[in-house]
Amino acid sequence: MLQPHSLLWHYLWLAPNVLQAALAVLLWYRGLQRQFPVFVGYLIFGAIEQFTLYGMDVAPSVSAEAYWSASWVGLIVEAMLIVAVIGELSFQLLQGRPAIARIGSRLISGAGAVLVLLAVLAAAYAPVFHRPPALISHADLLMFRAYVIMQSSYLIDCGLVLALFLFASHFGLRWNHRGFGIALGFGIVWCEHLATWALIASGTLLDKRLDFLNMATYHACVLMWFYFLLVPQKSATTSAVSLPENNLDIWNRELERLLQQ
Amino acid sequence: MNLAIVIVIAAALALVIILRLAVTQSLQSKPRSDLAVSIRPIDIEAFRNLIDPAEDEYLRSRLPANQFRGVRRERLRAMAAYVHAAASNAAVLVRVGETALASGDQRIAGAAQQLVHDALLLRRNSTVALARIYLALAWPYSGFAAVRVVERYERVSGTAMLLGRLQNPAVPVRLSGRL
Repeated sequence: MLQPHSLLWHYLWLAPNVLQAALAVLLWYRGLQRQFPVFVGYLIFGAIEQFTLYGMDVAPSVSAEAYWSASWVGLIVEAMLIVAVIGELSFQLLQGRPAIARIGSRLISGAGAVLVLLAVLAAAYAPVFHRPPALISHADLLMFRAYVIMQSSYLIDCGLVLALFLFASHFGLRWNHRGFGIALGFGIVWCEHLATWALIASGTLLDKRLDFLNMATYHACVLMWFYFLLVPQKSATTSAVSLPENNLDIWNRELERLLQQ
Repeated sequence: MNLAIVIVIAAALALVIILRLAVTQSLQSKPRSDLAVSIRPIDIEAFRNLIDPAEDEYLRSRLPANQFRGVRRERLRAMAAYVHAAASNAAVLVRVGETALASGDQRIAGAAQQLVHDALLLRRNSTVALARIYLALAWPYSGFAAVRVVERYERVSGTAMLLGRLQNPAVPVRLSGRL
């Protein structure tokens, strides 16, 4: 399935995955796989998946059907891993906060259920064929369905990461620096991927530049993960919080009065 | 409108929200000494009186139905304002507590942990209470208990006061007063 591509295209496909594999090794070396085991698993799987697909794409002996079949398997495993990564991020966010742990996990699960429903509806209404049926091969069918799967998967992922950010913001929760970086990177990538795959899956815009946009965004995201996961966070000096003046006595009196009632 | 266009617009909106929340989070993670200034003192007694079911019963028995609905709605709006203030105070206290969590002093870290826990509970209860208040605004005859918000607020105030004292014994803190 050899297709002519520019040097930039080859770079944008390979470089983020080389960086991703390197990031997984560095995280393992620093012992961070204990903190983010699923995310490290995602990095390793994603790199292996993309190297395999790249090899299949440039190898002339591989048929389009074989390529899209492999792509399907990769997509399904990746989608499951991504949901597990979101679970890991929500666990990190709720860890040590028992007051909202239950409501938090219920809200995220509820959001997930609603998003799955929306993704199914969007997939059901997505036009699969953009050509006359006679011109559609089995490989084309696999490809169009893979587009719809990607649209559905990114819709769920994008919604879940948005729900996480909204939940954290509503309760004023402070993210772990690394968890924040992972969530932000995924948030940017999934929103962008959702928009482009919706355009591609519906046949609204079939432009090669969307591929470049997807790959460039993912490249930027991997670099962002390097920064957030490997650059140590500046230690914030915890100075005493300055509080309003001359009110403690009033509050004390009021509290005592309330306690005596 | 094409479904793809709807999804593109939704994705763009989601991206804007995520980026905005991320920027806010980054700004909030910087230590600020003026956090407590944004705490709005609340008159707990006035609030307690407002949510007293006996008061509602008294008004219901004394006023004609249509007049009672009007009065009840006014009281509910006032109640919502108090709960809003309690919820925003809770959010500030979560940040105050989380800033203090990194303290090397075990007593401060312990008090901060307690404050974060109580403030999160208050925030959660306030959210539920607000939903019920807005529901009651549509149906003024329904009764509900916002008492848990008051109780939680008192508890949070106590832990905030303890943390304030531990961090800076010379500077006072107030979470209650006239709204």
